[in-house]
Amino acid sequence: MYRRLLINIYQVRNGLIHTQNTRLPSTKCKERESFAPVIWAPCTARPLGTSSISFSENKENSTSLSEDKEKRPEENEAKEEVNTDGQKSTEISNATLTLQLETEPVDKPEDSKQVEKTKSGKESLLELLGAMKVEVTTVRKIRPSKTPRMSERPDQEPMESTHSMFQHATAKGSQQQGTLNPALVAAVSAAASTLPNRHQAESELLKQLRKHEAVPDTQRRADGQNIGHIIADMKVGGRKTNGRSSARPTSQIRFDDDGKGYTQDRGITGELDAVRRRKSPFTSKRLNIFTAGMEQDTLSVLGPTLWDIDLANQIVQATNQAPRNGFEEMIQWTKEGKLWQYPINNEAGLEEEASVPFHEHVFLEKHLDESFPRQGPVRHFMELVITGLAKNHHLTVQQKKEHIDWFRDYFRQKDDVLKEAEA
Amino acid sequence: MASSCSQALRHHVCKSSRLLRVHLQKSWTNRSFEGAVCVSSSFALNSAADQQPAVSSPEEIVIPKKKTWSKEAVLQALASTVKRDPTASDYRFQDDPYLTPKTSSEFKLFSLSQESGRNAAKYFINTYPKYFQKDYAQPHIPCLMPDTLEAQIEEVSEAALIERIGMRKVKAAVDLYDQLLQAGTSVSLDVTNQLLDLICFYGDHDPAQENVPEQRNEETEDVQDEPQAKKGRAAKASDLLKATWKEKNNAERIFALLSEPNKHSYSALIRGMVKYGAYSKAFSTYTDLLNSRLKADMHMFNALITAAPEVKEKYNEKWELIVDLLKQMAEQKVRPNLLTLNAVLKALRRCGTVGKSQAFPVISEMKALSIDLSLASYTHLLAIFYKPGAPIQGQTDILQEVMNEVSGKSFTPQDPDDAQFFITAMRICLDTKDMEQAYRVHELLGVGENWRLLGNDFQQNIYYARFFSLLCMMENIDVMLKWYRDLVPSVYYPSSNVMRDLLQALDTDNRLDLIPQIWKDIKQLGHANRQNLVEELLTLMAREKHNQEVQESFAECALDIKKIYDTGDRGKVLLNWTAGSLSDLISVLLAAHRRQDAWDMLKLFKTHNRVPSEELLNKFLMCVKEGGEVNQAVELVQISAGFCLPGTPKLIQRVQQEFELTEQQRKMLSDLEIQSFNSE
Repeated sequence: MYRRLLINIYQVRNGLIHTQNTRLPSTKCKERESFAPVIWAPCTARPLGTSSISFSENKENSTSLSEDKEKRPEENEAKEEVNTDGQKSTEISNATLTLQLETEPVDKPEDSKQVEKTKSGKESLLELLGAMKVEVTTVRKIRPSKTPRMSERPDQEPMESTHSMFQHATAKGSQQQGTLNPALVAAVSAAASTLPNRHQAESELLKQLRKHEAVPDTQRRADGQNIGHIIADMKVGGRKTNGRSSARPTSQIRFDDDGKGYTQDRGITGELDAVRRRKSPFTSKRLNIFTAGMEQDTLSVLGPTLWDIDLANQIVQATNQAPRNGFEEMIQWTKEGKLWQYPINNEAGLEEEASVPFHEHVFLEKHLDESFPRQGPVRHFMELVITGLAKNHHLTVQQKKEHIDWFRDYFRQKDDVLKEAEA
Repeated sequence: MASSCSQALRHHVCKSSRLLRVHLQKSWTNRSFEGAVCVSSSFALNSAADQQPAVSSPEEIVIPKKKTWSKEAVLQALASTVKRDPTASDYRFQDDPYLTPKTSSEFKLFSLSQESGRNAAKYFINTYPKYFQKDYAQPHIPCLMPDTLEAQIEEVSEAALIERIGMRKVKAAVDLYDQLLQAGTSVSLDVTNQLLDLICFYGDHDPAQENVPEQRNEETEDVQDEPQAKKGRAAKASDLLKATWKEKNNAERIFALLSEPNKHSYSALIRGMVKYGAYSKAFSTYTDLLNSRLKADMHMFNALITAAPEVKEKYNEKWELIVDLLKQMAEQKVRPNLLTLNAVLKALRRCGTVGKSQAFPVISEMKALSIDLSLASYTHLLAIFYKPGAPIQGQTDILQEVMNEVSGKSFTPQDPDDAQFFITAMRICLDTKDMEQAYRVHELLGVGENWRLLGNDFQQNIYYARFFSLLCMMENIDVMLKWYRDLVPSVYYPSSNVMRDLLQALDTDNRLDLIPQIWKDIKQLGHANRQNLVEELLTLMAREKHNQEVQESFAECALDIKKIYDTGDRGKVLLNWTAGSLSDLISVLLAAHRRQDAWDMLKLFKTHNRVPSEELLNKFLMCVKEGGEVNQAVELVQISAGFCLPGTPKLIQRVQQEFELTEQQRKMLSDLEIQSFNSE
């Protein structure tokens, strides 16, 4: 917000306001929202992460009206802050004050413009809101961005102290802009006079100076606003920030997916434990009999001996193997082979059949070899048999072969009868 | 039950959705920076952006590898969603109020009857296999089919020997081996070693067959089947005592027959000797092994280390022998395992002060060999430092050290002694009155599969008894009652002693108003027939004055107790009235202004030949006075005179002064006065 304001100020000065105005509606939202996180970037050391938050927040803002309303008081607050700032630093030149006043009216139409804009999309947004319960989700989404902020508050202290130094510097800078500006301008013009294109160089140098000045200024203000932002957040969602900062990280890690234990730091007792652990007798000197890296015993290759089985049995006897619930009982049954295994597979127990291709089951003519007559009723009968077998899914290939072999034997035994009948 | 289940399930769903989101992050982070923001993915964007600072790597789709789940994976996931329900009894019991155990004896009865039913079924299937040949199951279920208990191969051959070894028929296998040798066929060394294993393992006796009723065993073997009649731990002890290594038994004979015994043969022999108590013989066999230029194996060393404390007298010598064995292990390049460590620690338990100084170096040594300690190691460690019954001096922090090591870890059973850890640790907590460590021990029990290591029902009961006694001693009443509601009676059935502890805890915390509730539990737990417990309860109720409401509930409770005294069990009298219990009961009733009930009780003194105290009669008189019952007052004096109490004259005086008496009553009283005066 304020950066935009300041930019406006300087652009008014530079007479570039027309181009800026055309650009504003597109960047407005982004500018305003990315504002605080960008300031945070240097101290969070995660510039991209935070900027991405700003992305999402930005997007949300464009979708939710309620969010927009939430931001509005912040703006006002920050505005007030600027005013008090102005009162405090009475040495600030009249020029800047007037410029601020000048920008006030500039600001207002923009705001109304924004309201219009959001109103224009209001209907669709309301639809979205109704469908998505944005409020609920936004609360959740903002949370992750908040915890790092909260956790980085201690880090912020030195930053703030340096920042107060900075503020002094900028105060001086603004004073310079007011009181020392003629001298500075004179110096600039003197420096520029050494260059060939005097006017251009002078304006460029001044522009550069102002840019330098603008950055700390915006930073300072933004920081003020940022703190206000945090406070506002606390007011809005005191519940989530209060309990969260302390409770959430531990509980989250404790119940993490990897299932590994996480020893909770218990303040002083935890520290004391750490001290004790350092002196733990478990890390005392060793006997120095064995050297590491010896070969494992090779006896176990022979398979479990009676002794191994007995050891396992003893362990089972000593421990509690009773199931605690129905599922554990089912696990036990699965291990005993009493229960159909999960995931359900209708070919369970047919593992050896899996390697037999289907044609072995279906095309059984090859088994009707020389031992059967080439034609005649026996042949005809056997063809019917293999047709039947081919359709039988209850028998394995081996069983089918045995079936055919039985007939082979049978017909061989009845050979003379058949010959007699001239079959 | 159902609600807890659904809650747990929801928790699980949350967990998996989190997983999903983590997976989605990768693909969506990139997209978000390109500006293609899709609304539906906004929640993922946020978390993705938060956790993954933009990495503008080229988009890459990693197809996850196919994962083969174990057959129990689904069930394990489901089982992990079910939490313990403190209001329900153990899963193994029938879900029927009639069959839910309420006392520890019922618990034992129901769980054993289930097990014995199973064993009976197994017995019938195995005894009459011909009736159980029909195999309906497809795929085939081997464990439902009868076991073959009779040898199938009749001829004398090596295959038959292997079969008998597989069926663990010691006698038959030895006979067959002899027959084979007599027939001149040589048996391969591997099979002979297996036979040696079998003989040594069972100490040259046929094993007692599992799940077989004892009458069947009578014909087979007399030594091993007797423990079947007894139960549990006593059986094991007697088993070990009776079965000893006999001189020149079959194992030694067969071993002597071997032309070239190898490492395995020696190993079997030594382990058998150690198992059956022939310790010095085991060491001499070990010397033989060294003389025949063979190397020992790990199992042999483990057995010898176990035997080491038995063959030496002094602590120092024991330890030196162990160190010597360990050095020989290192020399022969035998890598120790966890069981070696546990054997050393177990041996150190019997080395007194040497154990205390050497335990930690041993553990460090094993840790250097990257052997992870099991709970049995910690059990031995605790046992080394905390001798039961010994005074605790200065070693109190060892438990804390151990808990620092183990807390939060999930252990798998690796040693039969693992199951001793929890009761040992809890015993030490109770001895040292260390509530904090007790909570840590109990917390450890809840981690992972550690509950399995609590051991059988017997050990569970010991553990909870210790834990609960400690709670009664150390915790304030609210916390303790919370635990009480949580543990009793779903996992723990307190004994009458523990219930007395509970009453004392109520007393110290001034929450005697809870007594009627506790009395209900006592009745349910089957301790209502414990004389001293009931008397203690009555004393506590009678001791102090409480407000009207509490007194009223006490009176109800007292009448309930009276019923127990009256009824008895099948004609037998469970509880005997004593003077103390009667007067306590009467005072409780008087405090609740139940004069009539109290009056009835007062008559019981006479019927049970007990003498009421003077104090009680005074109390009673006060109460009678409040009611203004003149007749009762006179009757009271008569009762008092009947017992020839020394306080009778005073009572008479009081009655004469405080009541408006009729002429007849006055006369009677003065008669009594003279009577009592004369008796003195």
